Amino acid sequence: MHVPDGILPPAVAISGYGISGGITWYCLKQIEKQNNPQAQIPRSSLLTAAFFVASSIHIPIPPISIHLILNGLVGALLGYYAFPAILIGLFFQAVMFGHGGLSTLGINGIIMGVPALFAGYLFRFRYLFKTNKKMLQNVLVFAIGCGTLLISAALFTTIVLTNISPDFNSELERNAIFISLFAYSIQAIIEGSITVAIISFLERVKPQLLEGN
Amino acid sequence: MKKTNFVLISLIILPILTWSTKIHAHGSKINYRETKAIEIQATYDDGTPMANAQIVIYAPNNRNIPWMKAQTDAEGKFTFIPNEEIDGNWDVKVRQSGHGDIISIPVSDRENLQTQIITSNFEYNPMQKLVMTVASVWGFVGTALFFSRRKS
Repeated sequence: MHVPDGILPPAVAISGYGISGGITWYCLKQIEKQNNPQAQIPRSSLLTAAFFVASSIHIPIPPISIHLILNGLVGALLGYYAFPAILIGLFFQAVMFGHGGLSTLGINGIIMGVPALFAGYLFRFRYLFKTNKKMLQNVLVFAIGCGTLLISAALFTTIVLTNISPDFNSELERNAIFISLFAYSIQAIIEGSITVAIISFLERVKPQLLEGN
Repeated sequence: MKKTNFVLISLIILPILTWSTKIHAHGSKINYRETKAIEIQATYDDGTPMANAQIVIYAPNNRNIPWMKAQTDAEGKFTFIPNEEIDGNWDVKVRQSGHGDIISIPVSDRENLQTQIITSNFEYNPMQKLVMTVASVWGFVGTALFFSRRKS
């Protein structure tokens, strides 16, 4: 789901940087309002590492190959820290392995970071469920993990579909993208399940990690 | 007698002429010459071939108008013969479902052209990738440890 270099026109890539910069500024302002902004940095750093490594776990779903993103999990656990964390993770993926691209860093940040912020907002609502209703909490967490990935897929599809170079056959490209949506749906279910498993594990072992996003 | 002979000779010659004409109509010939072709193979990060991906090739003398449009085969491969009169860097773009890459292939000195493999991105072997991943993760862990240290 990473948009590589050379796919988007320069105007879109530059706009992506502009919007990403604005969102990062807003997130940092929100972080600054917290009592101890540095307190969440260790957690953010470890989840950035998880996000960075997750992209190298490939799952072949013909005709394409997908890789884990886990932006729902990152968003749920980090809140406003998620957007800068994802940007840093994307930067490392692009520089180290050429995964994504430097010119499309801003656009990729929007595709994966904005849904992560929604995941952070939604995750706060889990306290609305009574503690004895674990099942409902798990359903919410699954919806967060699954839904975040689906929103990312929708953003990716929209951006790519609206920027097909006239040199390419747009109908062929459109068909290929619609086929890949099937693979993203399966990925969403996988990521939803992983998010539930990790959140449930943390809730039992170290519940304080789930607080203060 | 003469008339009879003429008809007889005509009856013998006519089928031969007709047969000969048929041979020319269905005849075919194959010529060959050796030439240097460029084979590309497009794969995803994990090595899965980009089957039926779109390819657009730009000649060195005109980067605005595609020189050729095509699709890869099931193995993500495509072969083309660059125009002999145009030397320089041939740009090949591959795209499928929002993923893709561009590679610039230098073509010159065709007489001494050697078989060589060029990749659009530098390829790391698995061990190099592992070391790079571990080093990066250690950087993140180190950051976490630094910010979680107890302040005296």
